[in-house]
Amino acid sequence: MARSTKGSGPELRRTVTPWGSFAWGYSDVGADIFVGLGLVLAWAAGASNVAFLFAGIVYVCIGLAYTELAATYPVAGGGQYFVMRGLGDIFGFIAGWAVLLDFTIDVTLFAWSSVDYSSQLLPALVNSIHPWLHFTVVLALVVGLCILNVIGVRESTAFNGFVSALDVISETCILCFGFLFAFRPQLLIHAMHFNWPSPYDLMLGTSLAIVSFVGLESISQAAQETQRPASIIPRTSVSLILTILIFALAYSNLALGLAPWHPIVDAAGHAQQFWQIFPHNADNQGKAVALLAAQVPYYGAFAALYVPVLGAVLLLISSNSGVFGSSRIAYAMSSSNLLPSIFQRVHGKYRTPTISIVFFSTIAIVELIFAAAPALHPSVGSLYAHFFHGENGLEFLADLYAFGAATSYSFVFLGLIALRLSDPLSPRKFKIPLNLPLHVRGERVEFPVIAVIGFIGIFSILMFTLRTHALGRIFGPSWLLLGLILYLVYRAYRRLPLLRSQQRNWRAAQVDILRRAGELELMDEYVANLKASDARRAAPRT
Amino acid sequence: MLAVRAVLAGAMILCGILILARMLASLSAGFAVLSGVVLGAALIALGVHRLSLIARARRMM
Repeated sequence: MARSTKGSGPELRRTVTPWGSFAWGYSDVGADIFVGLGLVLAWAAGASNVAFLFAGIVYVCIGLAYTELAATYPVAGGGQYFVMRGLGDIFGFIAGWAVLLDFTIDVTLFAWSSVDYSSQLLPALVNSIHPWLHFTVVLALVVGLCILNVIGVRESTAFNGFVSALDVISETCILCFGFLFAFRPQLLIHAMHFNWPSPYDLMLGTSLAIVSFVGLESISQAAQETQRPASIIPRTSVSLILTILIFALAYSNLALGLAPWHPIVDAAGHAQQFWQIFPHNADNQGKAVALLAAQVPYYGAFAALYVPVLGAVLLLISSNSGVFGSSRIAYAMSSSNLLPSIFQRVHGKYRTPTISIVFFSTIAIVELIFAAAPALHPSVGSLYAHFFHGENGLEFLADLYAFGAATSYSFVFLGLIALRLSDPLSPRKFKIPLNLPLHVRGERVEFPVIAVIGFIGIFSILMFTLRTHALGRIFGPSWLLLGLILYLVYRAYRRLPLLRSQQRNWRAAQVDILRRAGELELMDEYVANLKASDARRAAPRT
Repeated sequence: MLAVRAVLAGAMILCGILILARMLASLSAGFAVLSGVVLGAALIALGVHRLSLIARARRMM
């Protein structure tokens, strides 16, 4: 973690440029389509583009909410901080704990998928053929990333930027060649008319589509390390949100309407559409973008060689962001007395939060064991088939990923609404559009209609997840319950309020946040707003 | 560099307009075009956003 020891305590350096901020988010969220595309095509079939559309619209609302909050409160705590400030400590803990679930899943899921993409060039790594080798390589990657983070090696912003730029160019080329030479609208309409999924599968597909849009915490993490974040973050975030949405919608439409460059036939020798290679085939689901790229005319000959490598690298960067992201969120939660102070402890030699990194990496390994178990041992496989609809490892991880994201994002929307009502004086350089003017406690506030729409959307996805994910609905709530017990025990031990919030001086905190961010004009504006508000309140009494 | 970025942003807007026009021309296909309409609109929005950033950068030079 980049830290300096100026002032009262350790603090993150503000050295991230606008492109660096975009690349940071892109390497986090941009990698998701590599995982999500195959899973959604497998379940939502002819309605995959609709599943992506629904999840994409919800994602735009979430992205706008994060942009406003990160620009107003540029601290690394992200969703957990916004919710704690808006709704109180216990809800802040729940949101943060759900984000921590996502970060640990992120480590395993993306390391798993990175190996799946590698298997396109190295068939020995195919999970269904060599499950133990696949498991061992994923485990080695998770352990390796843990060690790298403990000794303080993190991929540089420049490397992130380079890989992100390469991926944007690569995806644009794949889509251009695909739409120009292989896209047949009649195939898309045929797939939508004749392969429309059942309502259950559509709900499952839609909840998996949100997997393609997870990682917006990176916006707030970038805000903490960007100079003048209130000005920079909205510019880069809007580009990021739209880029990811465009890729997701374009890929899903192309996949449904793609006339394969090389004929695809099933076991009986019948010609298949491209998307039909994904249902009931976990190996293909894990490397969908590489398979699609190889089927794009002309460019596919070249893309088949480099897309698996590019995908594997991008996914590994995303996996790494899970390792340091979890330790960073735990650090922030610990600073707010939501988690024990042990998660703030920094290694004497390496200056990294070693305990935090090792703790959450161990959880990631436990999740990996649960995910890999059915493939590794037939008796576990039959157990999963009996109780959990035979979910494969990738689906298990995606289940929990969707649950964690939907839970934390739901709270972030509520936190945004609460902060608009309770903290109208903080200057907001970026506001999500569509607001209703109201007067609350003598202050003029703007009620965010988009946040309500977004909340309804993400809450629906949470319900879809609970309804359709056999493992997610058990492990997800169990994770939250376990966390709540730990939280209550810790708060009781520290003699802090259990269900109520600790007293905090948010005014002083906000002045400090804006000063540290270099937003001195906003700080002055905030102080002036406070004085004017206090004068208004004092006026009737004098 | 700004000129190249402006051309790319212009191309994005053009692609968006083409997709939107094709989708609106095929409204008879019903629900199937909805995703394409949003895709076209998102491309136009991103292009316009990029152009506004380029214009701001030019003003600051």
